Amino acid sequence: MKKAVTGAVILILCAVLMIPVLSLSFGSPAVSQGMDDYFIAHGQEQTGANNIVTGIVFDYRGFDTLGEATVLFTAVLAVGLVFRKLKRGEEYEYE
Amino acid sequence: MIEVIAHTCIIAGLIISAAMIVRFRDLISAAIAFGVFSFLLSLEFYILQAPDVAIAEAGIGAGLTTAIFIIAIRAVGRDEEVEE
Amino acid sequence: MNMSRIVRTVADISFPFILIYGFYIVVHGHLTPGGGFQGGAVIATGIVLLVAAHGHEAVARQITGNLLKNAETFGLLLFIITALIAILLGQGFFTNWLANTGMLFGTPVAFGPGPGDLNTAGVIPIMNIAVGIEVLGALSIILYYMLSGAQEAR
Repeated sequence: MKKAVTGAVILILCAVLMIPVLSLSFGSPAVSQGMDDYFIAHGQEQTGANNIVTGIVFDYRGFDTLGEATVLFTAVLAVGLVFRKLKRGEEYEYE
Repeated sequence: MIEVIAHTCIIAGLIISAAMIVRFRDLISAAIAFGVFSFLLSLEFYILQAPDVAIAEAGIGAGLTTAIFIIAIRAVGRDEEVEE
Repeated sequence: MNMSRIVRTVADISFPFILIYGFYIVVHGHLTPGGGFQGGAVIATGIVLLVAAHGHEAVARQITGNLLKNAETFGLLLFIITALIAILLGQGFFTNWLANTGMLFGTPVAFGPGPGDLNTAGVIPIMNIAVGIEVLGALSIILYYMLSGAQEAR
């Protein structure tokens, strides 16, 4: 009984979630918002990069890349804190 | 036509491998299934014309994450505990 | 933990090619798909291959953990300093102060599709290299930490 109810709920959820998927234009660009037209028109001469994606990631949106690099650095710090070498006789303290 | 066939095959493989990740009791098998999932996802990104994301997904998802999972599984034991 | 001789030889042969492919992705980040993050991840995958073939200790003698830590810190510092120099020159933070000046990486580029020139794009190649070094160090040092922690737990 419980399994049947769970399966029915999952099937109904899948059917509901498939409705917007079928109406998407899959694999083709979305409606233009004006911003991407500006980047495509001016990105090459302003940044000098032929790859507009890199031009946006490292120049127009440089703060995002700085945040990404900082997040990676912090993740390494946290992993190093968890797996640090204990001194002789020292034990982890739990609150 | 060929694009629709490729999309269908890759998305079917994604769903199958995702189900296998959940179903496997052996954790190393689940980690390998996760690698297959990431590889198929990177293929899908490439077909959807996002090669940047495809390279990142293939390097990190299929390469590094699988390795880190396997290292962790070797340390904690490879069988999943079944809670009834 | 050591793999067989066949695995070790194949890993040794394919490691330089993975390294060159990763640095190609990093350096050509402003011309072809890819960039610092993707290239660094590819190089870290090569280090994973070496560790899987030779074991942790043998690799850590050649590529030490301190080297990777220093690479990570150096990459992040190079990235921030490159962005800060723009302030010293009287422009905004993250301004592309090298583009179209005729200096290093400063050749102006014509509009439209083309094969591209490596000597363009101003600070973008420098930032690509910085992020590449940082990601390579960060992902590899996470792997090293995990390996040393897993050995203690056994």
